[in-house]
Amino acid sequence: MTFLVFILLFICYLVSGYGLLTIFGMRLKTAYMITLSLLLGIVVASFVPFLLQLFYVDLTPTTIFGSLLLAALVLNIPTWRRIRKEGFPAVRRSFALKPFRILPYEVPWLLIFGFFIFVSIWRCYYLPPTSRDALSGPEAIADFAVREHTMINSFFNVDLWSTNNQFKSPYLISLQMICKMAGFPFGQVWLSIVFVSFMIFLYHALKERVHPIIAGLLLLLFLMTPEMYAYTFMILYDYSNMIFFFLSLYFLFDYFKSGIRSHFYFAGLLMGIATYIRSETLALAVLFLPVILLSQRRNKDSFAKIVKADVFFFLPSILGYYLTAQFYIKYYLPVHYDIGGLVNDHLSDLGPLFQRYSDIVTRLMTSEFAIHLWGYILYVTAALFLAEGIFVRRYSRDARNWLYAILVLYLGVGALGFLLPMMNLNETTKRALFKLLPLAVLYLANNQLLIRLSQWISRWEGTPVHLFAREQPSTPALQANAVLAKKAPVKTGKLASAGGKTASPAGNAGKTAPAPAARPSSKKRKR
Amino acid sequence: MKGFLLTIISALLVIIILNVGYYKDWFQAKPLQYWTDFLKEKDDTLSEEGIMASRYGISYTMSMRIKHVLEQKNVVHPIILFEPNSYYRDSLHIYPKVHVPEPAVFYYYTGLEGVWINSPDADKANYLVRITSKGVALDMIRTPEQRQQLLAFYRKYPPIL
Repeated sequence: MTFLVFILLFICYLVSGYGLLTIFGMRLKTAYMITLSLLLGIVVASFVPFLLQLFYVDLTPTTIFGSLLLAALVLNIPTWRRIRKEGFPAVRRSFALKPFRILPYEVPWLLIFGFFIFVSIWRCYYLPPTSRDALSGPEAIADFAVREHTMINSFFNVDLWSTNNQFKSPYLISLQMICKMAGFPFGQVWLSIVFVSFMIFLYHALKERVHPIIAGLLLLLFLMTPEMYAYTFMILYDYSNMIFFFLSLYFLFDYFKSGIRSHFYFAGLLMGIATYIRSETLALAVLFLPVILLSQRRNKDSFAKIVKADVFFFLPSILGYYLTAQFYIKYYLPVHYDIGGLVNDHLSDLGPLFQRYSDIVTRLMTSEFAIHLWGYILYVTAALFLAEGIFVRRYSRDARNWLYAILVLYLGVGALGFLLPMMNLNETTKRALFKLLPLAVLYLANNQLLIRLSQWISRWEGTPVHLFAREQPSTPALQANAVLAKKAPVKTGKLASAGGKTASPAGNAGKTAPAPAARPSSKKRKR
Repeated sequence: MKGFLLTIISALLVIIILNVGYYKDWFQAKPLQYWTDFLKEKDDTLSEEGIMASRYGISYTMSMRIKHVLEQKNVVHPIILFEPNSYYRDSLHIYPKVHVPEPAVFYYYTGLEGVWINSPDADKANYLVRITSKGVALDMIRTPEQRQQLLAFYRKYPPIL
């Protein structure tokens, strides 16, 4: 029975997430459509009980599951309209598995990923939430909310001197409530959906840039980060926050290349979700304004257009922050939380700021402790970064974007630790650095040396995978078209000669005309 | 043939990564151990409470024991005073192996109100949890004077997690 409920919830997440994707006009490859639908569906589900709470509706299984169903239906109004107009095949195409195929040399990677994923799913299902930050806040609130039908429950009557976790986003509370009401006593199973969806998304994103063997290698390095792997079966905010922060940048950088406006707004939504999950993400979002403005200036957008676009980009983040960190705490929770009082009152003394930057590098990124946290992935990234600088002497635009994101994260997380001393190094800052890892992996996927190696393997293999070739279309949306046009012959010799001169395929997207099958029409670009 | 060679290379790369440096230690201590745990856990018949006890350890077991004792005694509104964990650290030297949960976590475990010496409701505490080398004791606090004496004694040990 519990399994059946899980399947129904899964479908509900898929449908509501798909609706949200449709509203943003996102048409991507099947793997992206499914994984993004699930991830967005989880977010919709996390927002529904919170919204009911804001209206003081009793949080019972009827109201919650009824609202989830309603949300899925409402979000799919544009889909229904499309079905009426174009017929059901229009939707079925989004989930068509036809282009999906596994090459023999992907099997060893998929087996080991499967092992890691299986173990994680089992622990998610079998074990109760463990982290202290969950037990002293969201998990306890969710547990009593199920019994008392409100998030503002008896938990707030006990002494909460030792914790501030009751003030964090209702994201975890809502998802835990849904799972507990669905018959999972420890909740948590939603985290497996998040984890697996992200792994699939990331693997496909990597395979677009590098050879499947290198993609597998990068994903394994990402998966084998000891600290982060633990959070694939222990609920907390940072893992989900990392995913949506990364996805936001993924679509933002994609917008820089393709100019598809819907991707820009979608990136804004994803950044808003990341902020809704962890409110301090707002500060990181703002740090991307310079590159956004640079891109808009390069596109020669008018001032009014820039202002309008940027307002729409940052609006979800501002709402995500205000709703959870201000409005809900101030007007709903029975206990007061003075966020202003947490700010460092010795801001003129910059010593601790530089000390924090130094500590992040020496303790969290390069020490033996760092290896215990992240494995060797940061060392691999640093080595290939240097190698690219020495041997290639330039970084592609894509690589520069991801390197900029890494720098922003480092500066932002350090500054946040300085501004809010309660963000300690070994816990909060450490978990904030989760966000660094997918950025590092995507940088590696755009590293010229790895791309050349990919091209070399492909040529040697004799069946060149054109996805990371020079003519690569720049966006996942266009990739979908490219896959359909896969039978077109690919000139491998040209790729070989392009090696030294070409930056990453994506990096050259602005300079090199894409293959005719993948060329975006002007209409598409305005989508 | 080339595909086969690439498959072999992939398999070798996986094996190398799983066996290199710290990855080897971690893989054996965590994911492989989790797999061994799974083989046991899939057949076990532990209840929800049993799983929580095995996961949370002594602080959960102790909390549930307190709950059962108070239920047996039919205490209407127990407020349980905990000794500070720094007392176990500095005086008994049994911390962190033995420690009491913070009030928020104790409430999650048991649904009962626990207080520390600096809690607003410390003055209303009617039970004290004492941990000694002999075990755990739940003492009733009978008079306000007794409570004040206890609070005064433990005040030199600041509450820690």
